[in-house]
Amino acid sequence: MIEEPYRWVEAIANRREYIETQLASGSPIAAVGYRDGILFLTLGQARQKIFEIYDRIAMGAIGHPGDIERLRMAAIELASTEGFTRSAGDVSLRRLAHYSLSPVLKNAFEQVYGAPFLARMLFAEVSAKPEEDLFLRVEYDGAIATNGATFAQTRQDFAVLSGTGKSTELMESFLKVEHAPSAPFEAALKVALDAWSIGHMMQKNDAKDLPERAALTKHREEQLAIAGIEAAILERDANTAIRYRALSDEEVRALIQQ
Amino acid sequence: MALEQSFSGASEDFPALLRRKGLLSPAATVDPTARAPNSREQSWKPTEATTILAFKFSGGVLVAGDRRAISGNTVVYDRADKVLEIDRHSIMAIAGVPATAWEMARVLEHSFQYFRRTQLQEMSVDGKVRALSKLLRDNFGFVMQGVGMVVPIFATYDFNSNSGPRLYFYDAMGAQFEVADYAATGSGSPAVRGILYYENNWGAKRLQKLSEDEAVTIALRALDTAAESDTATGGVDRSGKIYPLIKVVSRKGITTLPERKIAAVFKQTVA
Repeated sequence: MIEEPYRWVEAIANRREYIETQLASGSPIAAVGYRDGILFLTLGQARQKIFEIYDRIAMGAIGHPGDIERLRMAAIELASTEGFTRSAGDVSLRRLAHYSLSPVLKNAFEQVYGAPFLARMLFAEVSAKPEEDLFLRVEYDGAIATNGATFAQTRQDFAVLSGTGKSTELMESFLKVEHAPSAPFEAALKVALDAWSIGHMMQKNDAKDLPERAALTKHREEQLAIAGIEAAILERDANTAIRYRALSDEEVRALIQQ
Repeated sequence: MALEQSFSGASEDFPALLRRKGLLSPAATVDPTARAPNSREQSWKPTEATTILAFKFSGGVLVAGDRRAISGNTVVYDRADKVLEIDRHSIMAIAGVPATAWEMARVLEHSFQYFRRTQLQEMSVDGKVRALSKLLRDNFGFVMQGVGMVVPIFATYDFNSNSGPRLYFYDAMGAQFEVADYAATGSGSPAVRGILYYENNWGAKRLQKLSEDEAVTIALRALDTAAESDTATGGVDRSGKIYPLIKVVSRKGITTLPERKIAAVFKQTVA
């Protein structure tokens, strides 16, 4: 039955629908570039969602913890062995995502008798200059969305990840308007928090447009009261090799209050 | 870069991962019947031609090493770095065969980071100390064959205990020894050990009470003394203006003392 092309397409469509349903409730993650680095931010109560992959690469992910763990380990293994045998400078997010993760994800997704990866990932790599920072969103089927550097798109120094397509789009359109390139850290933090709030609101909401300012603020404050803040930065500071630093909940809250 | 679908699990350490991928030579087996060349005549001596010293002072642990690299009785390099940063708070200082030692430092550096990234927690000080011990143990087969001897010192800062700075020395088989005050390794170390023992017991102050400038003075004097009788130790090259490499491990991390500063202390209190 699966051998028939139509059945195969149907099976893939079912599988896509199933995975989308599974991912729909994942708490959004926003990654925004600022003058001195890249900030990853999300709110949640349960498990960690932002991870260090290598010196200049961080990852955020939603999905099944087991699948996230397998992909995270694979990414760390690849980056670490590459960094060891060649040099840290030879580890690149572009190669990691395009040549290693994407083919494996696509393969698992299309082998309809096997299990697909229930995960959606957001990667960022910090560079010497803000305009060279790379942001990638890698889907469960191996599709990769980048922050530009193509002919059709203008470059963006942010990327987002959410459970639903609509929520993702609205977060992006919010950041397109509100996020200033080379913003100072405090501004980036506020805009990332607002972007997260929009993504979170729109997951359970049928609205097609961005919410009103007041509604956004209300939702943000409600969520801040009940959920923990998870954040990490990739610093542009060239004096240290390891640029990743996790920020504690208290540290971020203190900055938001200012 | 190829991605393996098999999940390797969390228990694997970084050297094991490298070996699985064929990126690190397997641990050399120790053949008890194997003997180092000419060992019957006892003419084979392990070469750890250098001088490394480390001691605790008021600002943390100071680690200093001369800059000379030799091959036989030829000086091949006079700006070798033997005091290597492994992570933000750990230093491995090496006496022995540079190729093996630098490879070990590289493996160790990646091991600590790999552990933190995969396990989402920092490796404990005991774990780090043990990781170096294991690398030395894996290398011992080569040492028995007369190549690749490494005798390091390891200095780090422990945030999980009251002790703060911690200092260890190793033997070539991988045994680790924690010391309270000071450690020295390499061919010039007997002289240095004598000086540090003397200073710690009968000097103006105990080593742990010294200020940074006083500590640098002692380190430079000790290395200069070692170089006086040991040709494999560079000491301070007065004409070439080459000074030992000195790093300090403290709560804040690792500081490499600028050459300017070392030169100034040298001029004032040593030369």
